[in-house]
Amino acid sequence: MTDLLTPFHYEYMVKAILMSGLIGGVCAFLSCFITLKGWSLMGDALSHAVVPGVSLAWMLGLPFSVGAFIAGILAALGMGWVKNNSRLREDAVIGVVFTTFFALGLLLLTLYPSNLNLRTIIFGNILAISDPDILQVLVISVVSILVLGLKWKDLLLYCFDEAHARSIGLNTRFLHFLLLALLSATAVAALQTVGACLVVAMLVTPGATAYLLTDRFSRMLLIATLTGVTCGVTGAYVSYFLNGSTGGCIVVLQTVVFLAALILAPKHGLLAARTQRHIASAL
Amino acid sequence: MQASSTPLSVEVADITVAYTNGNIALRDASFTLLSGTICALVGVNGSGKSTLFKSIMGFLKPAKGQVRIAGRSVAEARKSKLVAYVPQSEEVDWSFPVNVWDVVMMGRYGHMNFMRIPRQEDKRVVLECLERVGMTAFKDRQIGELSGGQKKRVFLARALAQKGRIMLLDEPFTGVDVQTETAIIELLRALRQEGHIILVSTHNLGSVPEFCDQVVLINRTVLAYGPTDRVFTEKNLTEAFGGVLRQFHFEHSTIQEHDGRTVKVLTDDERPLVFGKDGHLEYTERQGREELVKERAKEVGE
Ligand SMILES: Nc1ncnc2c1ncn2[C@@H]1O[C@H](COP(=O)(O)OP(=O)(O)OP(=O)(O)O)[C@@H](O)[C@H]1O
Ligand SMILES: [Mg+2]
Repeated sequence: MTDLLTPFHYEYMVKAILMSGLIGGVCAFLSCFITLKGWSLMGDALSHAVVPGVSLAWMLGLPFSVGAFIAGILAALGMGWVKNNSRLREDAVIGVVFTTFFALGLLLLTLYPSNLNLRTIIFGNILAISDPDILQVLVISVVSILVLGLKWKDLLLYCFDEAHARSIGLNTRFLHFLLLALLSATAVAALQTVGACLVVAMLVTPGATAYLLTDRFSRMLLIATLTGVTCGVTGAYVSYFLNGSTGGCIVVLQTVVFLAALILAPKHGLLAARTQRHIASAL
Repeated sequence: MQASSTPLSVEVADITVAYTNGNIALRDASFTLLSGTICALVGVNGSGKSTLFKSIMGFLKPAKGQVRIAGRSVAEARKSKLVAYVPQSEEVDWSFPVNVWDVVMMGRYGHMNFMRIPRQEDKRVVLECLERVGMTAFKDRQIGELSGGQKKRVFLARALAQKGRIMLLDEPFTGVDVQTETAIIELLRALRQEGHIILVSTHNLGSVPEFCDQVVLINRTVLAYGPTDRVFTEKNLTEAFGGVLRQFHFEHSTIQEHDGRTVKVLTDDERPLVFGKDGHLEYTERQGREELVKERAKEVGE
């Protein structure tokens, strides 16, 4: 019994568990918009595109999240610009722009060695998170939660029906930018926990899970956030016993929940569909 | 309250609208609508009806000319919740996790506070609008789980819920059953009484004289506009449609003298448009048009 409590005896574990839960929750809340807007690939792209920003921020002595955020926004604007000025499809544009940014980041990191470890950026290391980094993540999370909490209905309308949003006088260009900024910001925060490679999982899986479980957006937000927080906390906790990567644990856990929803969801699950067919044929 | 003090009008002044591919969809189009009217927008496929709606909404910027709504720019009019618009086809993700109630409630956003929390009044309006289009029973349905006509009715309800004093309806009756159409027309008439401006495009020529008091005929420009009985003439329609209309000539048909006037015309979808001997419009109901009947009787000296 006391064995189960050992992780809480270490301050670094407590921090890691709390941070993972917080980041998991914020990413999950945003993931509802990302999955419905069809921006999953964009989330992946942005999480890689922030790397050169991290490196430049270190050289300039800025907090790393500022550099990462600016790089993310620049990448997003770059993608928008290339898309509007070429006849390429969005996925090709994303592919071109984000690999360019990522390559640039790799180059900078290797040319100008810093205290930043490439491994940490790509795979994350929440167990070694420093207090200033915790502060940065806290600020990002609180701001994101506030903005999302106040404006989720406008963002929902923007994702669902842009023309109507515009026709009732909402500033859709601002909402588009707001969503991009939130995406970049949370990608930066998630970089700490799970690393660039797995950020996209945090930004997509909880939303996808919740989408299978409900037909109401407000409930989807709730389910996704709960999943995000639970998986974050549990994943970090379990990783202590497995002695494995925290990011890996969190994401595997999220995937398990997703698979469960895929099979068992009351209305949109695989089993439910079979039962419905069965009932219909029996009548 | 400024909105209701300024006189209501839609003024399309000499606009030319081109798409990015260089295709000029409208050229030098002008007309003006004043408070309290249902105006039909009639023209063949590709004549620029939807383009005109998008220009009035400000989604397309005219290359020349301008649109003024109640004396203001289009953007200002949108901000002041004056205009409700139902596009020809909704470009939404039908698998989105919102139900009928949520969608109609979106029409109320403009009236809500910063956080869009619905008040009692908003809920009442949403329920009333759902009632109007006969979709109350479906209010908890996910939006993609409806038939085509039902979807259309939901988006009409959303436009109604906006309570804009100008309504732009792009083919609202296509794919909607006769009963719903009648109910909606009833509602539009009531709105006209209250001084609203309603611009509605339609391919259903027969219903135009029944509920529209004005008509704008277009084919890449405005061919004619004004009161229905003046504009909706055989000559103008032939010009607008280039002789592609279906016709039924009584004198060429098997109908004989002894059939008198007791010929029944049935159609499942579109109402028939009937012109009399001199090419004047005939209406389905004598009732309420006694003046017209008397006048015409006088003309032939009966
Ligand atoms: N997005 C677009 N890009 C380029 N040309 C377009 C576009 N949309 C419409 N057009 C062209 O503009 C012209 C007017 O189109 P519009 O959609 O306004 O016609 P409409 O009167 O609404 O027709 P319908 O009765 O079929 O709805 C057509 O010739 C059409 O081919
Ligand atoms: Mg059209």
